[in-house]
Formats: sequence, structure tokens, C-alpha cells
Amino acid sequence: MYQYDTVDRQMLADRTAEFRGQVARRLSGELTEDQFKRLRLMNGLYLQLHAYMLRVAVPYGSLNPTQMRKLAWIGRTYDKGYGHFTTRTNLQFHWIRLKDAPDILDHLATVDMHAIQTSGNCIRNVTADPYAGATAEEVDDPRVWAEALRQWSTFHPEFSLLPRKFKFAITAAPKDRTAARVHDIGLVLRRARDGALGFEVIVGGGMGRTPYIGPTIREFLPANRLMSYMEAILRVYNRHGRRDNNYKARIKILVAALGTEEFTRQVEAEWAKIGDSVDLPDTELARIRGAFTRTGFETLPARSEVFEAAKASNPALARFARNNLKPHKKPGYAIVEISLKGIGETPGDATSEQMEAVADLAERYGQDDIRVTHEQNLVLPHVKLDDVAAVWAGLHAAGIATPNINLVSDIIACPGLDYCALANARAIPIAQHIAEKFRDPDRAEKVGELKIKISGCINACGHHHVGHIGILGVDKKGEEFYQLTLGGSGAEDAALGSSLGPALPYEKVADAVDTLVDVYLRERQDGERFLDTFRRTGVTPFKEAVYADAH
Amino acid sequence: MKALTANRLTDGDVVFWKDGQWVERFADAQLWADDDPAAVEAEGHGKAQGTTVIDVYLIDLIESEGFWAPLSYRERIRALGPTNHPHHGKQAEGGAVVEALQHAHGAARSTGRVNLIKRK
Repeated sequence: MYQYDTVDRQMLADRTAEFRGQVARRLSGELTEDQFKRLRLMNGLYLQLHAYMLRVAVPYGSLNPTQMRKLAWIGRTYDKGYGHFTTRTNLQFHWIRLKDAPDILDHLATVDMHAIQTSGNCIRNVTADPYAGATAEEVDDPRVWAEALRQWSTFHPEFSLLPRKFKFAITAAPKDRTAARVHDIGLVLRRARDGALGFEVIVGGGMGRTPYIGPTIREFLPANRLMSYMEAILRVYNRHGRRDNNYKARIKILVAALGTEEFTRQVEAEWAKIGDSVDLPDTELARIRGAFTRTGFETLPARSEVFEAAKASNPALARFARNNLKPHKKPGYAIVEISLKGIGETPGDATSEQMEAVADLAERYGQDDIRVTHEQNLVLPHVKLDDVAAVWAGLHAAGIATPNINLVSDIIACPGLDYCALANARAIPIAQHIAEKFRDPDRAEKVGELKIKISGCINACGHHHVGHIGILGVDKKGEEFYQLTLGGSGAEDAALGSSLGPALPYEKVADAVDTLVDVYLRERQDGERFLDTFRRTGVTPFKEAVYADAH
Repeated sequence: MKALTANRLTDGDVVFWKDGQWVERFADAQLWADDDPAAVEAEGHGKAQGTTVIDVYLIDLIESEGFWAPLSYRERIRALGPTNHPHHGKQAEGGAVVEALQHAHGAARSTGRVNLIKRK
């Protein structure tokens, strides 16, 4: 992964020292809350229902074991012994004291971590494919470009006070694991017929109150022109994005208002003015690329007899392998997904002990590499097949060997009304109730891929718009109600879900999901996923079944 | 009935007003009748304590099992702690008032919070 240099470290030290001073001035009364709030938010510190919440940046979802252990230690020392991984691949601590925050930032800085770009109207942490550098599908390593974007965007003076927050996703594989089409800017690396590398540039996607699948404004941007083109987009947005209405301030609203064609015309005109002066020199790109070049792979046979024998004698390992192992580009290796969706647990939560267990396994078996996914899971991207049984045993001992990746109980849920000051309804208990319905792993496997995503309010941190089944908590006449949508997807076949019908009360949501799954199992053909069946049948059979009681 | 709540500046903890002091347990909160002008007066005093608390607002209460409980679900979660971790937050202490809050019905938008947002 990218190694901080002395400039990076000095920048962090300056920043934490500055924040320490700001906190002291707030506690002494020198700063009012109105003055201080934007300063603390620029350092990832929110006030939630029960305490302050510190959102720690995990740039493009990449961690090393030392960093993971530090997060575990902070969780144990300053929180209640756990952390919560988010849909932006960051980590949130939910029980933080303001007076401790400067010390925590100092501790984070010792392992090259911080809370910059986790809040405020700036360019936020970039989401990248969690399989980067490990999947054979990719045409290049997206982390190289994500890191370049990070360096470009951090404290960028022109883009630190945008009309609203701004989120990038970047992938280099046709299978999109980043939800690129529902980001402010989605970048998909492609290789042209002549071998040249370029980006499909998608702008103006988003979720929240007004969801959009982003249109492509350029099919193929030469890779070496990335920075100037991004600067042109941000400049058009910064100039014309609405600052009078928070709900209409995201770039998606500007793109929709101008129309894709006119927006693109303005970007291209701006790009022509900028020229290539801000583009990354090849030498700098090579420097960054060098940090991601991994040379530690052994030459191994594609099949591991050790692993095959272990699977044959251990059905739980075999099930884990079926669901949580993904193909690696190197023979004899696998990508191991670690589910943070234990049945009955809080989606995305990991205890300090679990974080340490993952750090140990990454160090021993995973080439010191850990990833966070936007689906609130972790990944060990480089594990030898010979070592998978040992990794599974370690995960099992830590209580995080749940074999449910991409299955019905692998649910995204925002913190919801249990923690969040913005929420209207709880999301976590809904996820827990649904997961309980599918506790039987045979049934969950029979159902197959089914992505359920739950948000506790319209801001859509739980990505409900792009859930195969999306669940949105609303406040209906003072009660927690939930609107269900079907047919959404955040992947390469991106789509916004369509409404199932009237909102359901809290206690009926898990049963409704159960009913939806039964309809799917009844209707599905030839190995269709839930999403495929829904796209073929439309909403009618699902709607009839869920609302049968009401008729 | 009404109570006055806020978050403590230093740690963000949920606190309630009692006779000029901020206390941590809802069970200890001072309660006022809906039309008691002392509630608004206390709110004014609370808001003047900018180095002690933030987000000061009055909340509506309802009766539950012989006790008073916050009307809104949101305020009951604040007074108790997150429902996914029953051992986190003030609910861990247990007791009759905590149980009354856990059993309370009548979820509603937090009226005081709405006023707070509007004022911003």
C-alpha cells in the first residue's frame, strides 16, 4: 500500500495540533458551538444521539495490520471495545468524548491515519474495488488512481468548500463492487483495443432524496488526463452547483438540470482551458504505482490438495469456501471475504478482538493486506489456498466466519435511529430480524445472491435505492414505518428500485422480506437471481403476496 | 409534561435539567406541566451554558406504567441507549424508570428537536 513520506506525516501532525488547539478553545468558551461545529466536522467528529462519533478515513478501503490493531486499541481505550465499518469503507467510533478526540487523532497519526475528508463539503474518501490488485478481472490497479485522487483532493484549496459533499468511486473491473454509477463521479478503467488505458467517466449519480443513476459523460478519457478532467468537472460544479438549497446542492442535481449534453459541453470547455498542467507526471504516477506493486506471490498449482482435503472433512469450511472465497489472479491463491454480518449481530460492527484477529491473520497469511468493502465487510485479498483452512479457523474462533457473502443475511444497514441524529427509524434491528429469518445457512444458500440494503432516513447511507430489496425507514404519523423497494442494483447493471407499495410497520418488515423470498423461489427460472426474477416478472406477484393480508 | 435535555459538551452524553444542574439519568430529570412557564425559563438558562452543554431543548412526555417517559421514540433511545446493544448507554443501569421507558408507546417525532432544527 501507499507509504506516507515526511511531507504527509508533517501535514497530519500539523492538522492534529491545529485541532487540539480548536478543541481547547471550544472547551474554554473562546469558540461558540456554531463556530466550532464546522471545524470538528472537518476532522470527522459528529455529535450523535448518545455521544460524539469519530469517522476515521480508510482511504480506498485499504488497511495494514498495524493500522487495524491501532483501530482495535482505540476502540478498546476510547470507545466500548468495537468499531463500525461504513458504506464509505470508513470506520466509525460511536462513543467518543470531545476531550479525547485530539489524543485519538494523534494515535491515528502514528499509523498514518486520520479523519480528514470524512465530513464536510469536500471530496470525501474515495471508494475503490476491494479486490484491487487481486482480481484477474481488472485492467489496472484502481488503488493507484485512487491514491492519486487522494493526494490531489486532500486540502485542495479550490475544492474544500464545495456546494455539498463529493464522492468518488473507482473500479478497473467489469464487475462493479464500488457502486460507481451512484457516485458523484464514478470512474471505470478500461483498456482500448490499442492497449491504451482510459476511464469511462460517470457523473451525477447519487442516492439520497433524489436518486440518479449517473450518465456517462465520456466513454474513454486517456488515463494520463485524469486530474485535469476531474478538475474541470469540479470547477463547473463549484461554479454552478446550488448553494441556496442543501437538498439541491449535489452535482447530480446540476447534471440533471443542465442536461448531460450541456453539462458535458461545459466540462469539455473548462478542460480545454485547464490544459494538462495539473495532470500527473509519469514519474509521480510511477512512484505511486510502485507502492502498490506486490512481488510476494509464490508459483503454486491452481489446485491445493491440502485445501481440498480440509474441505472434504469440514462441511463448515466447505460452505465458507463456497460463499466467501473469490478467485484470485494468481494460481493457488484466493480472495477471502470476511463477513461482518453475523446472524443477530450489528452489520458492519467489529469488536476490538475481532479487528486484532483479522490483523493477525492478514499478517500471518495475507501479505499484510486488509480491505474494507462498501458492503460493510472485510477482505483478505491475498491468501494461499493452502492457508484458507487456517484463516477460516482463526475467523471462526473470533466469531467472524459467517458464510454469507452476497446472501440474504449479508445486509447493509446504516446506524439508523439507534445512533444517528438524522435518522427517522431504526435500521439495525430490521437487519437483525431479517437475518434471523435466514439463520439456516442451507436456506440462505438456496436463495442465492440477494442484496438487502436498509437506510434509517432518506439520506440513504444504507444504499436502499440500489438494494435488490431496499428498505427505507420513515416517520409515519409518529411511528417507525418502512418503505420497501425492489429491483435496485448498485453493480454494473445499476438500477434504482421501484416501490413495492405502502410502507409497513416495524414488526412486519422481516415477514414481508420472507414473503418476497418465497415468491422469488416460486417464480424463479434457470438459476435466476432474485434481481433477475424481479426484472422478468415485475412487481405484481411480489406486491400481491406482501399485501395479501390487506385485501 | 415536559423535561429539558441536552448533550454535554465534553463527552456528548445525554443530560437532563434538574434544579439548575445537569443530571445524567432521565429518572432524575425535573418535570414541568405543559403550561408551566418555568420550563421555558429553564430552557433559556440551559442555552446560556454554552461551555457546558449543546443542543438544549424541551421534550414532551407521556405516562407509561405509572412513570413519565419521553413521547418520541428518538428521545426514549437517547434516554436509554441503542436498542442493538442493551448493555450500552443508560439502559444498562436498569430500574423501574428504564423499564417504563422501554415499554412506552406513542412514538412521535421529537417536537423539541424539530423546534431546534427550525431555529437553525
